[in-house]
Amino acid sequence: MSRIAVRRATNAAMNILAALAALVVILPLVLILGFLIFRGSTALNVAFFVHLPTPVGEPGGGMANAITGSLTLIGLAAAGGVPLGILGGVYLAQSRDRRLPWLCRFLADVLNGVPSIVIGIFAYTLIVLPMRRFSALAGGVALGVIMLPIILRTTEELVRMVPASLQEAALALGLPQWKVVLHVVLPTARAGIITGVMVAVARIAGETAPLLFTAFGNRFWHRRLDEPIAALPLQIFSYAISPFDDWHRQAWAGALVLISLVLVMSLLARLATKGLYNRRGTYG
Amino acid sequence: MRKLAIVLVGLAALALVVGSPLPEPPRAAAELLINGAGATFPYPIYSKWFDEYAKVQPTLRFNYQSIGSGGGIRQITERTVDFGATDGPMTDEQLAKAPGELFHIPTVLGAVVATYNLPGNPSLRLTPDILADIFLGKIEKWNASRIQAANPGVALPGDPIIVVHRSDGSGTTYIFADYLAKVSHEWEQKVGRGTSVKWPVGLGGKGNEGVAGQIKSTPGALGYVELAYAIKNQLPVGAIRNQAGQFIVPTIESTTAAAAGAARNMPADFRVSLTNASGEKAYPIASFTWLLVYKEQTDEAKGKAVVNFLYWAATDGQKYAADLLYAPLPPQIAKQVEAKVGQLSFHGKPLLVAR
Repeated sequence: MSRIAVRRATNAAMNILAALAALVVILPLVLILGFLIFRGSTALNVAFFVHLPTPVGEPGGGMANAITGSLTLIGLAAAGGVPLGILGGVYLAQSRDRRLPWLCRFLADVLNGVPSIVIGIFAYTLIVLPMRRFSALAGGVALGVIMLPIILRTTEELVRMVPASLQEAALALGLPQWKVVLHVVLPTARAGIITGVMVAVARIAGETAPLLFTAFGNRFWHRRLDEPIAALPLQIFSYAISPFDDWHRQAWAGALVLISLVLVMSLLARLATKGLYNRRGTYG
Repeated sequence: MRKLAIVLVGLAALALVVGSPLPEPPRAAAELLINGAGATFPYPIYSKWFDEYAKVQPTLRFNYQSIGSGGGIRQITERTVDFGATDGPMTDEQLAKAPGELFHIPTVLGAVVATYNLPGNPSLRLTPDILADIFLGKIEKWNASRIQAANPGVALPGDPIIVVHRSDGSGTTYIFADYLAKVSHEWEQKVGRGTSVKWPVGLGGKGNEGVAGQIKSTPGALGYVELAYAIKNQLPVGAIRNQAGQFIVPTIESTTAAAAGAARNMPADFRVSLTNASGEKAYPIASFTWLLVYKEQTDEAKGKAVVNFLYWAATDGQKYAADLLYAPLPPQIAKQVEAKVGQLSFHGKPLLVAR
């Protein structure tokens, strides 16, 4: 065999191996999605999206309250966690002080490793016990605390990647530092920050444990934020451990909706940032 | 600059859109939300009851979340919920910690069954001592002479018995261990009672559904689950010899019969173990499940709603139990429960409207 043929063969073999490796990486996601569609789609219908749950054996029930509940909780968590996380991340990357950022970074990493149920207990002690009631608010705080270190650390990493020359140029033009951050640093790091936010959202969307003792769950629509609120993971959990087949089907459908929700949100965020990215040109 | 503003406004809008609930269907103005939490076992019947009761009292919304018996006891003690629920009665110590006098109100009965996976799934008869010795690890093979003696004519394989028990804390475990402690001195000494105990042998499964799943997929397995899980998973259940010497198959009727025998000597607070009950037809591993409410209610409207619901559950509500594989209260006990509900009060005045 000529040398070129050997090289071609090696190249083809490595290509196939690399493609296989890529396939193996996405295989679990495809399998999970496929299985969820297989098990969950039979219970998916319009009623599932617009009706409240019904007791065992009564057809037509849905998880509309849990879907809006989950979205509300994510919104509450994001309302607190996103601005705090981004501002904190910028501080960590830009501060010239050594000790405080080091401490913050260390604590954020520890917080990231704290089991989510512990954060649930934290929110329970901080909000539920003094208010003497479970509430959407407590659930939002618990989820927000889980989001915070993820957003903080990704923002920090991305802000660090903004070239110093760019910032120095802006400073040299006489801009104060806050304007440099607002108009140069953040826009440059934007795409990555939004990805970080979406990762955090995906992480909290499926959390069950911290919601058990905070958001609590609700068989009805929530009317106020200081009332218990339904959430998809909670509903899936209590249906999945029941002995009844129709609740099992609903739990599968709930899981399918939950994962679709996360996928759609990630896609939207990608699309939203893609346009910005292209127009920006070199950096981003 | 403008792009950044767009992104920020977009993010804020996303949070708002996502954060605001959908427009709700119109409702009567004075609606009351009553929250309860606790045992997972009665969750299906409670959600059925609250749904049916909403047809009787459309202005009330009862929200029940199954966070486990331990959680139910803790939350009612902290007064974060309006009522609690548990599968195992509270201990004196737990009751002393509560800020007020707590009532145990029995709602329905459940049975814990011995279920197994054998070729052809024959109906087995088990005596209390066989059951205890299997779970103590003293009987290791399916064709042990004592099992064979209790089941003449059944072809038992020589396979080892794979014991499956709960790995999580559970009211189901409490009932089962309580029964074994009553029938086996050795079990009482070595293992004892509790929502989670030190199992001498066996594999753990999480939740009733986990144990049922493991038994279903493990030939030679034997474990205990709530009756509904055995029936819904088409698992065979063992007939167990009761105090009167009869082998009793667990059914709705034989479970109710276990409580009927206890009616005469019912303690006033209903904290009673129904395992190893007397009575010809009583299935020996049965238990009440209870709702926990404060005798003295702190909110008149909520108190009234809870009291009226409890009365309804003990009377009209009982007919929904059997369909969902719960055993209804025997009539004598339902009467006792009605009387107990009549004692719940607000500022010392009984809340139950005389009917």
